[in-house]
Amino acid sequence: MKRDNLEQLSLLVVEDSPADVFLVREALKEEGLSCHLKIADDGEKAINILDDVDAGGQDAPNLLLVDLNVPRQNGEHVLERLRRSPRCGKTPVVMMSTSDTAAERKRAFELGATEYFCKPSTLAEFMQLGKLVRVLLEQRYGTAA
Amino acid sequence: MTHAYDSGNELIAAEQYKIGDLLSRLWDAEETIRAIYSGEADAVVVNSPSGPRVYTLEGADHPYRVMVEQMHEGTVTLDPNRLILYSNPQFAALIGVASESVAGSDFENFLAPADANLFAGLIEAAMAGNHSSGELHLRGANAATIPVRLSVTLLDVAGMQNLCVIASDLREQRRNETILKEERLSRLILEQAAEAIVVIDQQGVIVRRSESANLLARKPVLMEPFDGAFHLTASGIRLDTDRILTAMRVGEEITGVEAQMAHSGGATSALLVSASPLSSQGNELLGCVITLTDITERKRAEEALASQAEELARSNSDLQQFAYSASHDLREPLRQLAVFTELLQSRYQDKLAAEAGLLIEHAVSSAHRMEGLLKDLLAYTQAADAPQGPAAYTDANEVCRKTVATFEAKIAQSGARIDCDPLPVLAIHEVHLTQLFQNLIGNALKYCGPEPPRVHISAERSDGLWKLTVADNGIGIDPAYKNQVFGIFQRLHGGGKYSGSGIGLAICQKIVQRYGGRIWVESELGRGSRFMFTLPEKKNEAR
Repeated sequence: MKRDNLEQLSLLVVEDSPADVFLVREALKEEGLSCHLKIADDGEKAINILDDVDAGGQDAPNLLLVDLNVPRQNGEHVLERLRRSPRCGKTPVVMMSTSDTAAERKRAFELGATEYFCKPSTLAEFMQLGKLVRVLLEQRYGTAA
Repeated sequence: MTHAYDSGNELIAAEQYKIGDLLSRLWDAEETIRAIYSGEADAVVVNSPSGPRVYTLEGADHPYRVMVEQMHEGTVTLDPNRLILYSNPQFAALIGVASESVAGSDFENFLAPADANLFAGLIEAAMAGNHSSGELHLRGANAATIPVRLSVTLLDVAGMQNLCVIASDLREQRRNETILKEERLSRLILEQAAEAIVVIDQQGVIVRRSESANLLARKPVLMEPFDGAFHLTASGIRLDTDRILTAMRVGEEITGVEAQMAHSGGATSALLVSASPLSSQGNELLGCVITLTDITERKRAEEALASQAEELARSNSDLQQFAYSASHDLREPLRQLAVFTELLQSRYQDKLAAEAGLLIEHAVSSAHRMEGLLKDLLAYTQAADAPQGPAAYTDANEVCRKTVATFEAKIAQSGARIDCDPLPVLAIHEVHLTQLFQNLIGNALKYCGPEPPRVHISAERSDGLWKLTVADNGIGIDPAYKNQVFGIFQRLHGGGKYSGSGIGLAICQKIVQRYGGRIWVESELGRGSRFMFTLPEKKNEAR
């Protein structure tokens, strides 16, 4: 396992499935990323967090992992809200979904997604999510290693 | 002479009366001449408005001749051999031959051959002393056939037996009869027309109507003002005779205008109104013919059909949504099941019994297979969805070439040969045609026998359709299953011999049906298969 000083970064995971949250943690761990994770299990909670960030109530997340099909406000709404944020509007976002239709992918990028991750059904492929997060974090915040 | 008779019978009666009169005058003249010839009388005194007049042998011939010369009917005298002794100018004019050429000719030269026997009968009766007459046809110049009534009388003058034939022209009568027949026919047509038809005059009064017009108005409408009988509005504006006749005057067409007719009880009918002008030869508008087609029932049926179609579309869309959600939402837990089973294996491999690895492998492979099925089901529900943009024509040659290229590796590996005839441009979305070729060519390569696969793609045109055929030399299909293969998840081979879920042909069928075509297979086990599908030749916007 790799270790570096991206650890102090915080990630906002918008995901309603505890199983997938578990797998996200596994993938990050596998990549040696022990970032601080904040979990929102529906879109409304995620938007509330962003509101609070903009109001100065908490620190801005360094990256978002957003499932498209979360309850209440879906992932697209969360993404839209994020891009309007004065404090963290430019934060990298990975949109995640079980389905992989061209229309969904296109729509996600139109709304400003940085990456689109189709949740795979093999363990090895799922673990690739960790690598993807590392690349995005390094691009944005540098390795500082 | 143009004289319109009310009926053919009246005309015949008038003609017969005239002939009778002529014959009696002829008889008088003959008697007079005979009396003078025989010495029974030297002269005949006749009272005339200008006082008594004396007729002698010489004097008697003259009025006789003048009368015959001036009578309206064509008259000839014949000798017993039917040779024409004399013809009046009217007979010559009737047959259109110069008078000089008539006298001396055989009468039969001027008779329609078909009537020769009839004429012989008339002569025979006349020779026997009976007045005879009948309708025959003369043959005039330029082989014109002239219908006539011939009256034949024996002229027995001074021991000489000649025949007098009087021909009355029946052409005018025949014309009148034809006109009458046509008039009667058009009246019948009008009266019995299924549509409500009325003829109105310049004042907007109905002067002719069909029975259906009465039924539509729910009262007799003849001689009624149109506006009183039919209260029409079109696009919210009153459609009355003023408006209709004005339109006719300026040459505006009224064709199939949709109108509402208000009935007295408050009910309404939906009508299609058409009007055409009736003009005199001097182009003065005399009135117009108005056709009122009752489309109330049709409209009601159309509305019912539209609402059914809407309902069907809604339920289809619900079903589509259901299938999408089911296949989409089921995939998520399944995916997690597969990943967690793998995770279990990777984390606890050393702690599990040897057999556990095999069991976990089965579990993972089952989860993957089910995920594949759900993916295919999702593909099937979306297969015939219209892509963005209008339906376009697609060059099948291009799509076929591209599709074959995607099988490059498989072709190289199996030594397959794919021949493609020139294909048409088809009215189908490219993505759909690609799916058709991908499935059909893919199957042809997959279900091959021991020989390297041979695939032949061809097209032929018949009855406004294009029929495309993908033929192979593969393992073939038992004809008993030729319909079953197009069902969802229908597979004929188990045991992992040929991979696949059995969705490909179901997708093909769904696509072809969307364009109003059909797909079928002709095959025998071990003798290859011929998959055929039709698509409409002309652009047919997909439903």
